[in-house]
Amino acid sequence: MADPAGTGDEVLLAPIERTGPGFYWVVGLLSLLVLWGAAAYATQFVGGLGVTGLHQPVSWGFYVANFVFFIGISHAGTLISAILRLSRAEWRRPITRMAEVITVMVLFIGAGQILVDLGRPDRIMNVIRYGRYQSPLLWDATSISAYLTASIVYLYLPMIPDIAILRDRLAKRKLLHTVLALGWTGTLHQQKVLNRAIAIMAVLVIPIAVSVHSVVSFVFSMTLQPMWHSTIFGPYFVVGAIFSGIAALIVAMIAFRRAYGLQSYLKPIHFRYLGQLLLIMSLLWFYFTFAEYLTGYYGSEPEEMRVFWAKFSGPFRVLFWAMAVTNFVIPVVMLLSLRRHTVGKVLVASISVLVGMWLERFIIVVPTLSNPRLPFGEGIYWPTWVEWGELAGSFGLFALFYVLFTKFFPVISIWEIREGREVGLKEVEERLLTYLPDHAEPAPPKAGAVAR
Amino acid sequence: MSRPCAASERTVRAIQWAMAGAAVCFIGGIVIWITHLIRTAWRLGDGPSASIGISLVAIPVFLTLLGVILYVFRGLLAEAGGRIGPLPRPPEGDEQGGGV
Repeated sequence: MADPAGTGDEVLLAPIERTGPGFYWVVGLLSLLVLWGAAAYATQFVGGLGVTGLHQPVSWGFYVANFVFFIGISHAGTLISAILRLSRAEWRRPITRMAEVITVMVLFIGAGQILVDLGRPDRIMNVIRYGRYQSPLLWDATSISAYLTASIVYLYLPMIPDIAILRDRLAKRKLLHTVLALGWTGTLHQQKVLNRAIAIMAVLVIPIAVSVHSVVSFVFSMTLQPMWHSTIFGPYFVVGAIFSGIAALIVAMIAFRRAYGLQSYLKPIHFRYLGQLLLIMSLLWFYFTFAEYLTGYYGSEPEEMRVFWAKFSGPFRVLFWAMAVTNFVIPVVMLLSLRRHTVGKVLVASISVLVGMWLERFIIVVPTLSNPRLPFGEGIYWPTWVEWGELAGSFGLFALFYVLFTKFFPVISIWEIREGREVGLKEVEERLLTYLPDHAEPAPPKAGAVAR
Repeated sequence: MSRPCAASERTVRAIQWAMAGAAVCFIGGIVIWITHLIRTAWRLGDGPSASIGISLVAIPVFLTLLGVILYVFRGLLAEAGGRIGPLPRPPEGDEQGGGV
């Protein structure tokens, strides 16, 4: 195989060129999970939502918790990638692609949860034909559509130069690569067009991403249900989303680093920086959680307190305290010092956060419905094998999509690595000098200079 | 490497413009859907202000996304001209580079 950039980056194309037995094993195992999910959904499709643990008053369970969780993880990509691009963080280069792929994959999975939760998927047509924009559910549909569209565009645009490399170097999938490369030859005009488009998208996706999880929180906070009707739910959800998104990104990075031998690209320093970000987000998450629960406790409204005690010492206490340990105690202990065993510690913290954030979504959704404000009577929720199957199938489908993506496209951006070698070093040095007192102010960046 | 023949070049170009057309249809469909919901709310007197308020934000966002997509398609494909196949690496100093 020819070196794609003449600088030893052939390892980035190796997964596309060669397929080892490990790949088939992974795809086989993930397919089993997906099949379990498909069987669960088929059972529900035939038998209706009665085969699940959902009932009155708990009409939202695993599916809505999954929806909020997956949409939250989607913030990994676009938001983190866009912020790192705009702030010209040079260490972003091997990370951005993986993050952007996560976003697109989980958005499909997250939006799919709503179809599953509907029980009768044909009823989605009612939303399309007779939807009422007074409902935050429809705000969700609109903002997620915008986010999905923006994320696909934001994933695709920076891939164009890499697809052109595949077109020029690989013999297989010629038509696919030729079509998707859009005639890219790397002329100055093409670079200018693509730089400008990436810069616009990097700016555009940040408010869209923030709006998406704010709107997801509005589904809860716009109601008068106890412990949902909160003014800080928007930022609380956004913080949780970025928190879980970083954790998902780290897990994906470590998995592909090991599977594809990317140790020279994804170095301990990348994990140290992401680990520090994760630590900051853990502290922020704790602050928001503390503020949210303290405010409710101090007000002592009877309906609020029923939900509060159900979480603290009632039927949900195990899940609630597990959430506190996995989202705060374990990450802080693991991430306080990252001088030694960096990758291992960051991995433990990230897996802990993913478990904790799923629990957090569950703890937000179910206890309130179990103790509603209206006199429905209390209820408890026990998921059946159908919901467990759908949960396993969703995670399996996400991982399967991701693994398949890496067989078609480089999981690390080749041109960005190359650009870092050729331009980044000099640019950083010049930029650093301009920060010093004896040098002139940096000139304002030209349009489209983000991914120069 | 051999250049694709003229017929396959036309096929590739047709698929590429079909992709741009699909983007127009997808985003156009969403804009039409939002407009339909406003009209329905207006006709029924069912809180049209909420619909109009949200669509004032949503529709420009979708149109901006469409603008970026079409800008890239037009910018890259127009520059590529008839050249859609692999090209030899440019010599040092040439304006063609590999990266963005």
